Amino acid sequence: MIRHLSYFAALTLGASAASFQIDRLPNPSGVDPQIGGVAALPDGRVAAVFHRGELMFFDPATQKWSKFAEGLQEPLGILAESPSTFVVMQRAELTRIKDSDGDGKADEYETIYDGFGMSGNYHEFAFGPAKGPDGFYYISLNLGSNGAGVREEVRGKWSDLGVLDFKQMVNDPNWGKRSKDAGRMYSRVPYRGWVMKVSPDGKSVEPFACGFRSPEGIGFDPQGNLLVTDNEGDWRGTSPLHVVKRGSFNGHPASLVWREGWDKGDPRMLPVPELDAMRNKETGRFPQGDLANSPTQPVIFPASWGPYAGQMVFGEMNQNRMVRYIPDDVGGFRQCALLPMFDGTALGNGNHRLSFGPDGGLWVGKTHLSWAGAEGLVKITPKDIDTAFIVTSVKLEKAGDKQAFRIHFSQPVSAGADGIAGNRFSYLYRQDYGSPKIDEAALAFGAPQLSEDKREIVLPLEAKQGAIHRIDLAKLRAVDGSALEGSVLYYQATMLP
Amino acid sequence: MSCATALAADPPAQTFQTNCSACHSVDHVLVGPSLVEVAGIYRNNPDGFVQWCLKPEHKRDGFVDMPSMAHLGEPALRELHAYVIAEASGKKEQAKSDTDPFAAPAGTVRRPQVMRIFMPDASPAAIAVALPGDLSFCFDASECRLRYVWKGGFIDGWPYFKANGSSLAKIDGKVVYHEESRPFSFGSDKTFVSKFLGYRTGKDGIPTFRYRIQSGATVEETIRPLPDGQGIERNFTGEGIMFSEDQPKDAEGTSNTRVYLPTPQQPNSVNLTTRWK
Repeated sequence: MIRHLSYFAALTLGASAASFQIDRLPNPSGVDPQIGGVAALPDGRVAAVFHRGELMFFDPATQKWSKFAEGLQEPLGILAESPSTFVVMQRAELTRIKDSDGDGKADEYETIYDGFGMSGNYHEFAFGPAKGPDGFYYISLNLGSNGAGVREEVRGKWSDLGVLDFKQMVNDPNWGKRSKDAGRMYSRVPYRGWVMKVSPDGKSVEPFACGFRSPEGIGFDPQGNLLVTDNEGDWRGTSPLHVVKRGSFNGHPASLVWREGWDKGDPRMLPVPELDAMRNKETGRFPQGDLANSPTQPVIFPASWGPYAGQMVFGEMNQNRMVRYIPDDVGGFRQCALLPMFDGTALGNGNHRLSFGPDGGLWVGKTHLSWAGAEGLVKITPKDIDTAFIVTSVKLEKAGDKQAFRIHFSQPVSAGADGIAGNRFSYLYRQDYGSPKIDEAALAFGAPQLSEDKREIVLPLEAKQGAIHRIDLAKLRAVDGSALEGSVLYYQATMLP
Repeated sequence: MSCATALAADPPAQTFQTNCSACHSVDHVLVGPSLVEVAGIYRNNPDGFVQWCLKPEHKRDGFVDMPSMAHLGEPALRELHAYVIAEASGKKEQAKSDTDPFAAPAGTVRRPQVMRIFMPDASPAAIAVALPGDLSFCFDASECRLRYVWKGGFIDGWPYFKANGSSLAKIDGKVVYHEESRPFSFGSDKTFVSKFLGYRTGKDGIPTFRYRIQSGATVEETIRPLPDGQGIERNFTGEGIMFSEDQPKDAEGTSNTRVYLPTPQQPNSVNLTTRWK
């Protein structure tokens, strides 16, 4: 039986003009409906890869699924090169899957890149690919977890840098007694914790950047910057977003062992200030619990999304929302404001992979594995999006010897500017799992100045370098009484102007 | 919502959702134990619950250690204790169903079939293949060679799927043939450093594996069941490859392998037939 449920959701407190229709599509029968990747096709169909290895097409016209390929291992990303050729990130390799004889089913599984190591540890997921403006594919490789050891047979060179030797790292019934010495997450085979740059023919591969833990979300922004999200855990006080530059180290030390010429031993043992000084600082941070616990893939809103067009949104696994990204370049560094999106809708959690269809609809593939999340395919269709009342830009500026936020809106603000409140906080950079909030303080704003067209508010404050500045805009109203879609923003002030 | 300031404490349901629900569900084990189980341990011991949350220790082998929840603060943890007890009230631990909800009924394995999954006695880059009949084999994409053949059903992938790969798939059958190493060499290429290139499935659904050997030549390998089901025939094809005439060893005295060398009709092709008793 086909389930086709529609929900029209509106915020209860000061309705937002725009709304989002959430359609849950039927699952393919007999298939574990956990979706590792989605790619909308130009003809309106959607390609999806599933937990147990199927690559299937969903046809919205018939509401039916058809199978294209199977037997893939934990695919966690898909990119369509054509309607009959797909690039899929499997656990063991980046694979091009083709229908070469035109019968509508895949018959070629071409290994593009399998030159990274596998210890056999369950947590060594592989994510991507994201296609760069240079035409290369970028993939990200998860570290191993000390929830288990490694297999007796591994793929790739073994690194001796660690407290435990290979024999001690092999999983056995006593693993739990040794696991602490492995490090919470580890990189004992090549390029775990790295972003790799791979040419489409696989002949050119470059270890691009390191310092990642569980880099689930990878994508490019409209300016060609590589964005990578990571997950709260060891060395991740809360889930970060990085703009990743070639050769950069992005904070989790385990992967440093695979840097060319690395001669500083077990990187986990280096002094924290030394690691802190080496690392590429966060472009954004998703406050754990408050905003997102496990952010995923970023995608760019197409032109049909009104004031959202050209902006980006990240999926989120644990909470019933996604997260919108508004960058701000300060002193040559790209930092950002992050805002909740789709709050109050029936979207649900488990929002893993995203792809915009030719009609502008946002396809969402859901999964959970053995964590929080959901299953199946969802489509989000915006309604009255052109009149949506949203924050469209946030800039941190110098104002005398202090700072000010210049916040731009898609509609004139008619009320509530005097009700803006906020606070700031940060998280520790440390080996322990997660972090409490630190340095919490209320923000004392100067009088907000509304521009003549009422679409811009300048909010004077004394910003704190490194802190997340939380600004609550829930009291703002548009002329028609609408509240903002996404009424709280979290600005990461890594740099001050 | 009028008092929704930044520093107001969240209600315990919200605290649970944002801090705990990724790992704890009400009535079944997720990453950590269920609320039913937690309530059973701490129902009359809120202090113990709070202490555990502030400073969790390694408790269960095979489980990931819980991170400290000290950032929530003791008052919130006490509220959380009450919430956990209330949520678990009247609920029962879901019997651990160890059956695969998507398992094919016995005897209905689709053949042929290719499945990449963690397999025993192989590298983590293993590929399981079900052949027509009752034979299946494990090909290792890291070493580019056959590892073993089994007879019976295909695989039970549930141990792997239910735990994201922290367990291996199980072989549903009996291993009838096992190879410690490649049964012959390609010319002087004794070390057999090779690079996996992928596979292609034929119209009959049987995969042909492709790999590049040290000389730079590409080899294609196809494994088919013998018509009587008592062995396999392997075809190796590759342009300009010199196959040595080494007779493969009969490793365990349980099999009998014959090599059919290239013929003028098929100068780039070798067939290898392996039977077992």
